Amino acid sequence: MRESGGRGLPGPVREQVYQPARFDLEIRHFDRLARAPSAAERAGLRIQHSLSLGLLYLQCVWIAITDRSLFLPPPHSLILPPDRIAMLRYHLRHAVRRLLREPSFTLAVILTLALGVGANVAVFAVVEAVLLRPLPYPSANELVVVQHRDTNTGIAKPYIAIGDFVDLAQRQQVFTTLAAYGGVQSIVFGRGDPYRVEGLSAGPGLLELLGAHPVAGRLLTLDDSREGAAPVVMLGYQLWQERFGGDPDIIGKSIRLGSIDRQVVGIAARDFSFPPTAQGQIIVPQTIPLTAPSARKSDWVFAVGRLRSAQTPATATTALTALSRQLAAEFPQTNRSATYFAEGLRESLVGSLRPALLLLLGAVAAVLLIACANVANLLLVRALGRRREMSLRLALGAGRARLTAQMAAESFVLAAVAGVAGLMVATVGVRALVALIPATISAPGLTDITFDGRVLAFALGVTLIAAVVFGAISTLTIRSEDAAGALVTGVRASSGSGARKAAAALVAFEMAFAIVLLMGAGLIVRSFVSLVRVNPGFHSDHVITVAISVPGARFDSVPARAEYFASAFREIAAIPGVQSVGAAAVTPLTGNNWTTSFELPEHPAPAGEQPAEVGWQVASEGYFRALRIPLLSGRLFDQTERPGSPGTVIVSQEVQRTLFGGTNAVGRSVKIGGELLAVVGVVGDIRRAGLRDVPRADIYLPFARSPARAATLFARTSGDPASITPAIREILRRLEANTVLQQAQTLDDVASDSIGDLRLVLWLLAIFAATALTLAAVGIYGVMSYVVRQRTREIGTRIALGASRESIIWLVMREGGTIAAIGAASGLLLGMLATRWLGSLLYGVGNADPIALAGATVLLSGTALFACYFPARRAAGLDPARTLSAQ
Amino acid sequence: MPDPRLPPLSHLQFLVLGSLLTEDRPGRAVREVVAEYGVRRSGAAFYQLMARLERDRVVEGWYAPLLVGDQSVMERRYRITARGRRAWNATRAFHDAVVARYRPEELSDA
Repeated sequence: MRESGGRGLPGPVREQVYQPARFDLEIRHFDRLARAPSAAERAGLRIQHSLSLGLLYLQCVWIAITDRSLFLPPPHSLILPPDRIAMLRYHLRHAVRRLLREPSFTLAVILTLALGVGANVAVFAVVEAVLLRPLPYPSANELVVVQHRDTNTGIAKPYIAIGDFVDLAQRQQVFTTLAAYGGVQSIVFGRGDPYRVEGLSAGPGLLELLGAHPVAGRLLTLDDSREGAAPVVMLGYQLWQERFGGDPDIIGKSIRLGSIDRQVVGIAARDFSFPPTAQGQIIVPQTIPLTAPSARKSDWVFAVGRLRSAQTPATATTALTALSRQLAAEFPQTNRSATYFAEGLRESLVGSLRPALLLLLGAVAAVLLIACANVANLLLVRALGRRREMSLRLALGAGRARLTAQMAAESFVLAAVAGVAGLMVATVGVRALVALIPATISAPGLTDITFDGRVLAFALGVTLIAAVVFGAISTLTIRSEDAAGALVTGVRASSGSGARKAAAALVAFEMAFAIVLLMGAGLIVRSFVSLVRVNPGFHSDHVITVAISVPGARFDSVPARAEYFASAFREIAAIPGVQSVGAAAVTPLTGNNWTTSFELPEHPAPAGEQPAEVGWQVASEGYFRALRIPLLSGRLFDQTERPGSPGTVIVSQEVQRTLFGGTNAVGRSVKIGGELLAVVGVVGDIRRAGLRDVPRADIYLPFARSPARAATLFARTSGDPASITPAIREILRRLEANTVLQQAQTLDDVASDSIGDLRLVLWLLAIFAATALTLAAVGIYGVMSYVVRQRTREIGTRIALGASRESIIWLVMREGGTIAAIGAASGLLLGMLATRWLGSLLYGVGNADPIALAGATVLLSGTALFACYFPARRAAGLDPARTLSAQ
Repeated sequence: MPDPRLPPLSHLQFLVLGSLLTEDRPGRAVREVVAEYGVRRSGAAFYQLMARLERDRVVEGWYAPLLVGDQSVMERRYRITARGRRAWNATRAFHDAVVARYRPEELSDA
């Protein structure tokens, strides 16, 4: 209990109360100690002394809490000593006390601001992590990816044909290096249970280009990428730690990856992966031919380059366009409509998340503005209430600067506390935000959102701006000419109409921003509904999809794979509740838009012209049945399609319409990849890449004729499709123990994930709009309550003169309604401009959609009138006798 | 015409300042003086009173070392300020004036 120095007590209490009293206790104590005869007595005295000190400390705590006068300057002087630090401390202390005396006001301000600041910081933290934080490569802003666009269809693809890559890499002048890469998936055998790994297939020069360093062993070299080179692999740091226990002796040893033994030559650095969102468990060399192969599209690679100094993605694109033209002239058959362009690495990774994030940052900034306007209003009303006090102090000789400083101190304290509370809100908000981001959206930094210096600086900036703005608003009401007036008018130190106008303007401002957010939310809701209502051309309900791959060694031959899949289909179809089962190469609605060139043998593409491109899919009969893609004519694939059987193909209705002139395609032949195939059926069009996609011409090749090692199974069930996943897993494992099962997902979930970005925006915008609407409602309620209070006398007089209850309600509602109408009208104009930014996120609605506009207007006006009704009812219920006599 | 203002000091403050009129005293001694008049306060409450007087600049306090047995401790000592003397004199004048105005016969008895 002994407390030696009075720690924790405020200065005056510690120095002038605690310490002298404590010294007195000590004097008495030492005096008694000196006279105590026995050790036992002395021990007793010590205990007593300790207890006395403890009691003293508690008394002083009580004094510090209850006797605020000790902290006040002497009453004879309102002028503080010219010690700026002391003055600052005094103002801050005074501000804290003042605010504590009005807890409901203080709490309202802090909560409103904390929500605004918190939401902003949370969204900014995500923006910082995804859009601002440098990618984990040296000079990452020089890195660009080279992409391909088909000028006929307008479709852009992130990968480029191998022939084009070789020529581009040799001819380009804008990059220090242009390197190829790809993703790789494999299975590690021979070390316990086989397990799946994902990683990077690195073309020559890629690792140097990315500035990678090994933590052990070496990087992959040019020699490793030569044809016929000994197979090698680099391990990712995490895989090395988790599966190999960080054993440095693994270098030089071999591990079995798929069907190949590869020698481990190095371990990548801890945080290395490419692209940064990838797993990066292994890095294997990718072989790139030295000269472009004659079959220019025999393989596809991704390409990344490092810009030379003074080059930008735009200048690189110009150079690549010129090279594309050269290639088109040299290889018209393959390159006529192919053009290449460069995009910054970050832009290509962030994709659709950038507009969504910037939109949210804008929306959340609007929420903060509304919150600030609300707080400003609260401060304004409070400052008006304090005008008498301020005027009195001015009249008594207090300097205007001093009063301003005091108001500023209060604003600062409010903003500081709100800033800290806002950071707490942001901590929770970021977690919620990340949880809302669907797993299908991957972007660098998304998994590592932290409040680093930049985020804290942002929070500090927002808070400081709020403090300055509020301080300015509060001090606006201090006018020295009021000094005498306030004393003369006595109790009725009424506010001028100017202040009321300012408060009304603030509320109109809130209304304007609220309606902008409501419009945005309305447009997104309308887009979402349009997308959900889109008929994709197939039925996604009751379908489970399971992506699988079979090990290479046993299933190298096509008949072996065909046999495996035939058995799998047979056994899965026997699971109770399964109605149909099939397989396909491409899962719909996952963004995949692989295409292939398509020619009619009787109308070959003229020399120098590229044949038409159509969507490419490999599917079994069960795929069409499971997805209920309608057969329009001919037949689906059946037993006649098997390895070695004559080539057949099913086309979509769009192919029949555009490429067969609308005549029945069944029985005709088409040329795909140099092979003649007979059209056996025509099926309905589907939206393959995504719901926003227009239905495009697609061709389907028979899965049974040449099943790939990796495919996706589709099974339609009568009950819950997810419930049969364990049974499917068991069957596949029984057929081949080393079958790798990747994701199992219902097709409904796939469809839902495909609009995940829009759902994220929808949720957040809805939350922000609801917050904005609530704040605006509170704002107009506050102002109208204040107006009613100010006009009590007038309203009392009207009632006394016989005004009806309805007319009084109308009087108040009209004023509130006018404010709301002005706000809404300016908001609608602002909204028309602002919603243009929604651009690519909208689907099926224009940015001036009348339903969204009308909905926002009705919702806002309704809420505003609802909020005005309460003060109006209070006004109508005033007792004229009391209001008039009270004045 | 008597000064219509109330005195600036309470009776307790008047007593404390009075005890300091002729000499500086340590806080303990002042506390003993007020205790003689039946005002028994805890150390904290007493020094709270003194802190208020210091805040109002009617007394001035400082620390001085003191030897108790073989222990060196500090004690807080107080002296009255000029402002304190003016306040004390004004209070005394108030009491004198009231006495002179309302109880002249008792005064003459004394």
